[in-house]
Amino acid sequence: MTGHDVFLPMPLMVVSSGIMVMLAATTWRRSVERSFVGSMVTLVLALAVMGYHTGRMPDTGSSLFIQDWWAGYTAILTIFSSLCILLMAWRDAGHDRTTLVDEYPLLFMLGTLGALAMVFSANYMSFFLGLEILGISLMGLAAFRHRSFMQGCEAAMKYLILSGVSSAILLFGIGLAYGITGSLRFIPPIAAGDMPAALPVAATVMILVGMFFKLSAVPFHMWLPDVMEGAPVPVAAFLAVVSKIAIFASLVRYFGTGNQPPFFDDILSVVITLTILGGNLLALRQTSLIRLLACSSIAHVGYLLIAFLCPGRLQSGAITIYLLAYTASTLGVFATITAFAIHEGPDGTAIMQWKGLFFSRPFLASAMSLMLLSLAGIPPGIGFFAKFEIVATGVEYPRGLLLCVLMIGSIIGLYYYLNIIRMMMTAPSLPSPRQNRHARPELTVLVIVLSMIVVIGGLLPARAIHSLLPAPAGPPAVQDRMVP
Amino acid sequence: MNPLPALVLLPLMGGVLAWVAGRMRAPINPSTSWWVVLATLSVETLILGMVTFAHRAHAGPWLEHFSMPWIPAMGIAVRLDMDGLSLSLIWLSLILCFLCVFLATRQVTAHAGAFHFLFLATLAGIIGTFLATDLFVFFFFWELMLVPMFVLIAAWGHEDRQRAAMKFFMFTQGSGLLMLLSILGLVMAHDRLTGVLTFDIFTLAQTPLSPALSMLLMLGFFTAFAVKLPVVPVHVWLPDAHTQAPTAASVLLAGILLKTGGYGMIRFNVMLFPDAASRFAPIAMGLGVAGILYGAWLSCAQDDVKRLIAYSSISHMGFVLLGIFSGSAMGMQGAIMQMLAHGLGTAALFVIAGAIQDRLHTRDMNRIGGLWAAMPRLSGMGLFFAVASLGMPGLGNFTGEFLVLLATWHVSPATATLAAIGLVPAAIYALRMVNRIFLAAPRAGLPSLEDFPVRHMAVLGCIMTFLIVLGLYPQPFRTFSVPSPLSVTASQEDHTP
Repeated sequence: MTGHDVFLPMPLMVVSSGIMVMLAATTWRRSVERSFVGSMVTLVLALAVMGYHTGRMPDTGSSLFIQDWWAGYTAILTIFSSLCILLMAWRDAGHDRTTLVDEYPLLFMLGTLGALAMVFSANYMSFFLGLEILGISLMGLAAFRHRSFMQGCEAAMKYLILSGVSSAILLFGIGLAYGITGSLRFIPPIAAGDMPAALPVAATVMILVGMFFKLSAVPFHMWLPDVMEGAPVPVAAFLAVVSKIAIFASLVRYFGTGNQPPFFDDILSVVITLTILGGNLLALRQTSLIRLLACSSIAHVGYLLIAFLCPGRLQSGAITIYLLAYTASTLGVFATITAFAIHEGPDGTAIMQWKGLFFSRPFLASAMSLMLLSLAGIPPGIGFFAKFEIVATGVEYPRGLLLCVLMIGSIIGLYYYLNIIRMMMTAPSLPSPRQNRHARPELTVLVIVLSMIVVIGGLLPARAIHSLLPAPAGPPAVQDRMVP
Repeated sequence: MNPLPALVLLPLMGGVLAWVAGRMRAPINPSTSWWVVLATLSVETLILGMVTFAHRAHAGPWLEHFSMPWIPAMGIAVRLDMDGLSLSLIWLSLILCFLCVFLATRQVTAHAGAFHFLFLATLAGIIGTFLATDLFVFFFFWELMLVPMFVLIAAWGHEDRQRAAMKFFMFTQGSGLLMLLSILGLVMAHDRLTGVLTFDIFTLAQTPLSPALSMLLMLGFFTAFAVKLPVVPVHVWLPDAHTQAPTAASVLLAGILLKTGGYGMIRFNVMLFPDAASRFAPIAMGLGVAGILYGAWLSCAQDDVKRLIAYSSISHMGFVLLGIFSGSAMGMQGAIMQMLAHGLGTAALFVIAGAIQDRLHTRDMNRIGGLWAAMPRLSGMGLFFAVASLGMPGLGNFTGEFLVLLATWHVSPATATLAAIGLVPAAIYALRMVNRIFLAAPRAGLPSLEDFPVRHMAVLGCIMTFLIVLGLYPQPFRTFSVPSPLSVTASQEDHTP
């Protein structure tokens, strides 16, 4: 493989060159606004060149990157989420000139680059590089508030250590896999020759554990609420959305949709059960909205994994629409939180602060309720149809136990989502002081756009169901019967 | 033009209009949104009247049919069909909405626009539920109507409203998930046999199922409907929700929302799984009798007027359950009659209880008393509807209960006897309520109370007339409101993709 014919999807190119331009610009003169504008322009450009690539895909399947419907779809989701998050972060830049510098958008861009690399990767090397780029920039982002908020450092430290441990486990697994197959191709290792049978299992399990760490599935979830709480709100959104999409996309790419190793089923069933129940139960008693969202995002990963575990003709549609629903609704919640936050006032991270919002700011409260109901799976939000699809895959495959877990989880989830809505409906005890809300039209637009996605996606979901999953790898392929 | 989608969409659009009107600032009259609601309901009634009295183009038992593909990849289409059962229940809904609009929603002054929007949105969800013949669409509406109702209770209710609203939402949504599992189980079973993914109940009704599976699927549906109806072990949300809801929401809840449970049992339990339903009938009838006795018993012990009416609803709904599962056409007709009569009577009682609460600011019967002298019109109405509720011959409830008891007697005389015993406490609680509120010695220090004005009396008089007609001349309603069998498709040209 020589330099000139490296297969490289264009969005990756655009984002990396954009970052380089931004770095160069920073050495010349620092400007937060310019960095923000630069990163948004870069992201929009990256969206525009989606689907193009340089070089030629080698027939041997040994390329670093791959480009197919699944990669494209998740890349679009990633870039779109990053755009939304940059819009949310703009506010921080607007009024906090002492601490916020143009590294803030730059780190977001680096994180997006890492996520994109993971989404497009077809090789252990590129996957791991992407993972580390994402992880290290997230660490910087998580610590961004450390001057004003002590927990910022704690969050970054926690993230550093736990992410380091999980990366080490993952890397060990990758090493084992390489030892077994002698190839860096991004597929589960299969034992060949006189290799001990336990070796591929060990490798797969280690890679799986590493991924679960990043995905914050339950036995490996404890870092997520702390880190999200300590990080600034847009960074928390980045953690909850972009990094999860990227790692889930890689998980699906790695294990494929076809036949999975036999032990896989049991491990995943246990993890899913723990994830759904654990995430929802943890969320029940939270008083911080960000922690609650962190726990609920853990639970949503559990629902997504159910669809991942049920191969069938509905699987593809379920995963795509659930990812879209989760992304739009979660971003919507975070956008509402940012829009709620008032300079030198409540920042919207404690649930108590939302009391009586229906009376003081009905638009925000309605948007928030819509997003929460969508997350809970109530019509007319897109989350309703997404949950319906997940249950449909579960019923089709039959997975009775997981469906019971999903039901219990959904009921618990409904409780804490409704609790927030209830809080917003409680009449405030004292009349809310009329804060001087400085106009933030970009956030209003963002909230409206996300609400429209949620509602239109919920009413007309037919367009969002497509067979996008990568074709199952490996010789005994079970063909995906679904037609788009 | 097909009237069915208009029936569903019209309240929704009217609601949005009402909301906008409510948010307008002066010089627009604050009661504009109320007028918008009235206009919406009038147009809706006009459409419904046209559907009812229009000349049928085709002969089948289904009156109207509408179909439009929605999510072709899943075999989901917006299928709406109307038969006599749904038509009569929609008429009931509209009548009760008029009752609310004339007697209850005008008192709402805080955020009236939003209130009216939610009110009409609930109505849209309920009408959609009555019309949908695609299981996904049915489930969509089933869940959709919960949200506005939740907000109505949680934002405009009485002192303990939020707990009640949460309880209501959690119970119905949780059981709804069970129904979702059953729906998908049925669809997938059909898919496995025929390779066609569809949610059309006419097609799904033909699916051959093993006895065990059909029982399981039927139980999923039954649980969801049992929570709504409510059937005894899962009734706990009802007294709280009914008590705490604002008057208009109480009327909607007791008058129509409970009927969606009964409607669902008829259409989706008995007609979709006839075998499983007949095997399950003894248990269901046992639960029905338990509901009749338990509801009536608890009703006797209440001091709160609205709570008393709520428990009496549980008792009356026991008759509905008994009739539906009695397995005979007569029982089914009795159940439907009972649903219609209970909807009218209980709604009126809730309106009266709400009016008392507005005037005296209490629902505690120990603190209300002797209203007859102060408010003769309201008290007279209260007496009439209380007597209707205890099953006075000549009124609608009696017809329903009589038919149900007769049908049950053919199946199991013991059950019928037990159910009939439930009528004794019914007389006790109804008369006790009348005694304590209206007939007792007037309480000292009653503020001067305003009686019902004539126009309120006229509206309640209409409800009275309906009840009397149902009681004296039930035959046309009996034949008219019979549910159409699923073996007869509504339309020859089926739009299944």
